[in-house]
Amino acid sequence: MDWIIRGGRIVDGSGLPAFEGDVALKDGKVVRLGGRIEAEGAQVFDATGCIVAPGFIDPHTHFDVQLLWDGQARPALEHGVTTIVPGNCSLSLAPLKAGDRQRVVGMFQQIEEMPDAAFDGAFEWRWESFDGYLAALKESLSINVAPLVGHSVIRLWVMGAAATERAATAEELAAMQDLLAQCLEAGAVGLSTSFVDVDENLMPVPSRYAHFEELDALAAVLGRYGRMLQVVPEFYATDITLARVDQLAELSLRYGIPTTFSPLFDSAATPENVPRVMARVAEQMARGAQVWPQVQTRPIDISFTFEVASLLFAGLPKWYRTMRMGAEEKIAALSDPAWVAQLLAEAEPGGNGARWAAVQVRGGVSDASLLGQTLGALAEARGSSPAQVMIDLSLQHNLEASFIAASLGHNDSERVGALLADGNVHVGASDAGAHIQSFATYGDTGYLLGHFVRDQGALSLEAAIKKITADTARIWGLPGRGQLAPGFAGDVAIFDAAEIDRCAEEASFDMPEEGMRYVRASKGMVGVFVNGALSWSKASGYADAPVGQIATQLPGAASA
Amino acid sequence: MAELSECRAFTAPEPGEDWAALAARVLPGTPEGEAVEKLQSWNLHLFARHPRGQFLGSDVVFTAPPTA
Repeated sequence: MDWIIRGGRIVDGSGLPAFEGDVALKDGKVVRLGGRIEAEGAQVFDATGCIVAPGFIDPHTHFDVQLLWDGQARPALEHGVTTIVPGNCSLSLAPLKAGDRQRVVGMFQQIEEMPDAAFDGAFEWRWESFDGYLAALKESLSINVAPLVGHSVIRLWVMGAAATERAATAEELAAMQDLLAQCLEAGAVGLSTSFVDVDENLMPVPSRYAHFEELDALAAVLGRYGRMLQVVPEFYATDITLARVDQLAELSLRYGIPTTFSPLFDSAATPENVPRVMARVAEQMARGAQVWPQVQTRPIDISFTFEVASLLFAGLPKWYRTMRMGAEEKIAALSDPAWVAQLLAEAEPGGNGARWAAVQVRGGVSDASLLGQTLGALAEARGSSPAQVMIDLSLQHNLEASFIAASLGHNDSERVGALLADGNVHVGASDAGAHIQSFATYGDTGYLLGHFVRDQGALSLEAAIKKITADTARIWGLPGRGQLAPGFAGDVAIFDAAEIDRCAEEASFDMPEEGMRYVRASKGMVGVFVNGALSWSKASGYADAPVGQIATQLPGAASA
Repeated sequence: MAELSECRAFTAPEPGEDWAALAARVLPGTPEGEAVEKLQSWNLHLFARHPRGQFLGSDVVFTAPPTA
């Protein structure tokens, strides 16, 4: 034995009741569990009083770039996440010709909000092919990766500039099919596409130019490998989402493939959305289709400053245009009464600033008494409007004043808890590694286990663990992962059930060249093993353990 | 295989189709102007989008009015 995880309460991922016992790891895998295990020479990890569970699997991330300089995908690992799926939303870093890199960088920056430095000098571009990208990842990988290949980059590879102009020809379709097959052979877990995403110029990404027959042709290839199709639907419009569910069901039934769409949000503004979508999903699942809606656990909070173009302003063209200006031009515009009048007219139609009243001052201001105050309260005190106060504070603090729009939706614990417990819901959609300057996408599993299991009782601990381990592995076809059983990977999360949670969101300057992102540390997590190696512990922090594997292959099949 | 409940009808644009061509396909027998007007009113998410009124290949185009 290499390790014995001693004295914990085992929740094995199967959904069956927890039981007491030790877990033994050897050569990267679980070899025994239950009862008292003794083995001479084995290291012992004391799990007394803790839950011992399979490592969690996050099926919707955008760690594609970060993994190239941070093979641990911090802070995902310390939350117990041992396997991640990057490459969502039609975007991956391969296959990608050298001449197309800047186009894809622009798309990534729009979605991930990563600084230029993340792409310029933080790593060396040495690949064009998908297996070349995986080879670059594996040099320092400490977490397991099941990468999707993006439809937009496949289209770009085959069609070049025409990828955002027209339908594919028959020859181009065949070339895309061949390319997708190569990626799947190399280890891709499936194909991602998007019906909503835009590039840095706010123009549709290439996948949106693809006709259904193109998606059908690519799904046929997925069918040969039994691999996943992930899509981003028009989640803000119920009827369109229902149509997407039907399209996915059609492809799932025709080719025998799993499909998933993300996100599905609950919202007080459109309370009929979730029940209608879930009813359609249930109908399609009953017909044998696999259409998995991904639901995130956390409420929607968006933090922002006027320094970058927050997605909060994406629906306000005048504001978004202003936010995308350079700093000097932006300050000049915000100081121009005529320009500001147009901004206010757009943000507060008819003089109604209710939309902004609950936004709070978060930081970056010289007067500490402002922190936590709402724009509504400040506006009332100043005889102003919320949006005007937001502009004034930003100008006074060189655009560094920060704000938070909290609980914008998906925040009714009773409704979201019931949704998460639904047997047809796939818990995911964390978006980890994306929108890094708008909100922290880490700790959703801690929030599930703390808020919805312990505090709300929305689902049992065993059921919740199953959803983020064995269910996810089964849905995505990840062999040998997601359960604690002999022969399965030694991916283990050890935590205190009374403490498990996510910590408060905070700004961190750990991106290349001290770029900022919002993060959340873990709470209640005690230890995390990846492929049998202790990769993070509360006592010692991150370990240098480059043991991550490509999770579409059997554990131990690939050396990192 | 279990029956599906009725849902709002939709189609996807075919390569090269504009509003008139799609209207002729899904609303045959309806005068072109009237058919296009109907489709656009049922698909404001497309008609009001930039660039105005143009289809993307992946679009969902409703061929019936909203039910709710």
